[in-house]
Amino acid sequence: MTALITQAVILGILLGGLYALLAAGLTLYFGVMRVVMIAHSAFLILAAYLAWAFHRATGIDPLFSLVATVPLFFVLGVVMQRFLLSRLKPATLTMMSVLLTFAIALIIEGMLGFVWTGTQRRISLSYSTASIEVFGANIAVVKLVAFGLAAVSLLALYLLMKATSFGQALRATIQHKEAAALLGIDTEKVAGYGFGLGLATAAIGGTALALDSTIYPSLHWHWIGPLMAIIVVGGLGSIPGAAIAALVLGLSQSLLQIPLGTTWAQTVFYLALFLTLMVRPQGFFGGRLAQRF
Amino acid sequence: MNDTTRRSVLTADDDRREGRSTTHPSRARRSGALALAATGALTLSACGLGGGAGSSGGGEGGEGDEGPVTIGISLPLTGDFSEPGKGVQRGYEAWAEYTNANGGLLGRDVELIIYDDQSNADRVASDYEKLINQDQVDIVVGPFSTRLVVPAAQVAQDYGFLFVEPAGAAEEVFTQGFDNLFYAAPAIANDHYNYLAEHILAMPEGERPTTAAYASMDDPFAQGTAYGLKEKLEEGGIETVADEVYPPNTTDFSSIANKIANTDADILVGGTQYQDAVNLIVALQQLDYQPRMAAFSTAPTNPEFPEAIGETEGILSPTGYTPDADYPSNAEFVDFYTEQHGNPPNEDEANAWTTMQVVAAAAEANDCADPSPECQQSMIDWLRENEVETVVGPLSWDAEGRPQAAHLIQQWQDDEIVIVLPEDASDAELSFPKQDW
Repeated sequence: MTALITQAVILGILLGGLYALLAAGLTLYFGVMRVVMIAHSAFLILAAYLAWAFHRATGIDPLFSLVATVPLFFVLGVVMQRFLLSRLKPATLTMMSVLLTFAIALIIEGMLGFVWTGTQRRISLSYSTASIEVFGANIAVVKLVAFGLAAVSLLALYLLMKATSFGQALRATIQHKEAAALLGIDTEKVAGYGFGLGLATAAIGGTALALDSTIYPSLHWHWIGPLMAIIVVGGLGSIPGAAIAALVLGLSQSLLQIPLGTTWAQTVFYLALFLTLMVRPQGFFGGRLAQRF
Repeated sequence: MNDTTRRSVLTADDDRREGRSTTHPSRARRSGALALAATGALTLSACGLGGGAGSSGGGEGGEGDEGPVTIGISLPLTGDFSEPGKGVQRGYEAWAEYTNANGGLLGRDVELIIYDDQSNADRVASDYEKLINQDQVDIVVGPFSTRLVVPAAQVAQDYGFLFVEPAGAAEEVFTQGFDNLFYAAPAIANDHYNYLAEHILAMPEGERPTTAAYASMDDPFAQGTAYGLKEKLEEGGIETVADEVYPPNTTDFSSIANKIANTDADILVGGTQYQDAVNLIVALQQLDYQPRMAAFSTAPTNPEFPEAIGETEGILSPTGYTPDADYPSNAEFVDFYTEQHGNPPNEDEANAWTTMQVVAAAAEANDCADPSPECQQSMIDWLRENEVETVVGPLSWDAEGRPQAAHLIQQWQDDEIVIVLPEDASDAELSFPKQDW
C-alpha cells in the first residue's frame, strides 16, 4: 500500500508539473489580453506532431525540435495577436476570442488529420521504457525529462517576468493596461510578445507531451477542459497561481485514481472548478488583481 | 453538402474514370481538394443513379433492374474509431471492386454509398435513415463497433432491412431483440478468449497462474473480450486482483499501471483497441512489472504495434482472421487485396469482406437485391437456415445473430505473430511463461 501511494504521489507531481507548464501559457494570454485561448491545446498537439515528425524524419532526439518550434511558435503567437485577436472589438473581446480561437483549434486539428491522418502516433525512443528507482518507486525517464522541461521553462518565465524590463512592462500591462500605456509602455507590442511567449510554452509542453503518450489530431479536446479549470482555480492571469493549482490538481487526480478509478478521478478538475466559482470566483491564488470570471 | 457528410461512391465505371485513386483512402485524404471536387462530381452522378435504382427498386424490383446494386454504409471515418473504421472501408471497397471486376452481384454492378458518422451514435442512426429514405439503397450493411452497430441496426430493423455487420461483437448487440441482425465474424466478444481460458485451466496445478489483473476500455466490445475471459478464469479459481476500466480517450496510463504493477498479478489481460494497449504496456514497462502471461485484444495484430512497444515476445491476442487461413475464398481475397494495397488485409478488412460475402450469398440464393420487404425478409430467413462460406471460415448464426465459432489465439514469437491455439490449427506451441518486456 505504501509503495502504491508513494508511486502515485510521484506520478502526480510529474503530471502536475506538465499541467503547470501547459496552464501557464493559457493564463498568460488571459492576463495580458483577456483572451480565452481555446486553441492553446491544439497548438500543444501541433508541437507534439512536429516533434514526432522531426524524430521520424531525422532520427534525432525529439527534444532538439524545440530549437525550431519555440521560435516558430513565438512568431506565430505575435502574428496571431497582431492580425487576428487585436482586431476584435475590445468590448466583446473575451467572448469573441472564444469563437475565434475555437475556429483556429478546428483548423489545426483538420490540418493535422489531413497531413498525418487520424492514426495514433507515438515517438519510440531508446529510453521510452527506462526508469530510475527512488525510494522503491520507479520514475520513468521520459516523465522526468518532461517534468524537467516544465520546471526549467516555468523558472525562465518567472525570471523573465520578475527580473527584466520587458517582464515589468508585461506585468504592468496585465495589472492595468491604461495606466501602463500612460507610463509610456507600448501595450500593443507587449501584448503581442506576451501572446508569443504563451504560445512558445505550448511548443515546449507539446514536445514534453509527445515523449510519453500517443498523439492524434483530436487529442487537444481532452486537454483544454482540465487546463481551463486549472487557470480558473489558480486565478485567471496568475502564473504562480496556475502552477500551484496544476500541481495540487495533478496530484489529487493521481491519488484519487487509486480508490475511484480513471473515469471518476478526472472529474476532480471540474469539481474544483465548481467549488472555486461558488466559494472564491476570483481564484485561490490570483490575489486582489485577479479577474472575476 | 458539407465536409462532414463525406461521401464516396464507387462503381466499375467511376473506377475506370478516376483510376484507383478515389478508392484508396490515404491518397484520397491527402489530395483533399481534388477529392472534394471529384466527390462533388461523383455525388451528382450518384444522386442520378441512386434515384434511378430507387424508383425501379421501389416498384417491381427483381429482373427488370438494370442499374447497379446500391449498398449503403455509415462508417466512423473520423473520431474515436477512425482507425478501424477506415480498415472496414478498405475491405468494403476492395470487395466492391473485386465483385465489379468479376461480373457483379446478380449480374449488376455494385455501388457503395459511404457516409462518415464521426464515431457518433446519434449520427449513425440518421445516416442510415438517409441511406434508406433519401438514397433508397438496395441493401445496408453495418458500421464499426458495438456502440454504432446498435443504433444502426435499430433503424434497419424499423424499415425491415437485413443487417449484416462486421464489428458489433459485444453481448448487448444480441440482446436488443433484433431479428434482422447477423454478425459476420467467427465469434462474439465474450467468446474470443475461449481457447486461452481452456488452455490456462488445463495447466497442471503448480504451474498454473493464480492471480490475474484486468484493464479494459469502457467500451462494450473491449470489455466483453476481457470480461469473457475473467468470468471463465474466476470460475476456474484464478483470483482477480485488479480490475480497471478507463474511458476511451485515456492517454495517461501511469496510474492504472501503478495499480496493476502493485498487485504483481501472474496474468495481465487488456480489453484494448490499439493506442490504449500501447500506452498501458509502456507505462507497465516503466514500472518494471513482468507478468507471466499477457493478452490484449486487437492491438497486437496492428502492424505498428511491435515498433511502438519495442519488446513483443510472448504477447497473446485473439483473432478472428489470419491471411494464412486456407478457407476456399481466402486466398483470392488476400491476393486481390495485397495487389491493391501492397500489404495483406487485417481483421477489419477481412470482417468487411466477410460481411459482403454473407450479403451476397443471401442475395444470390434468393435472386434479389432490392429494398422491398419481401426481398429483405427472404434474405433474413435464408441466413437463419444456412451456412455461408467466408474468408473467416464457414459461418452460421443463432436466432439472435451470434456466430457459432470461436477465435484463434495468436502469440508473438521471434518477431512474428503465430497461431498457438487451438492446437489443431496452430503453427507453434504457446510459450509460457512470457519473456520479460
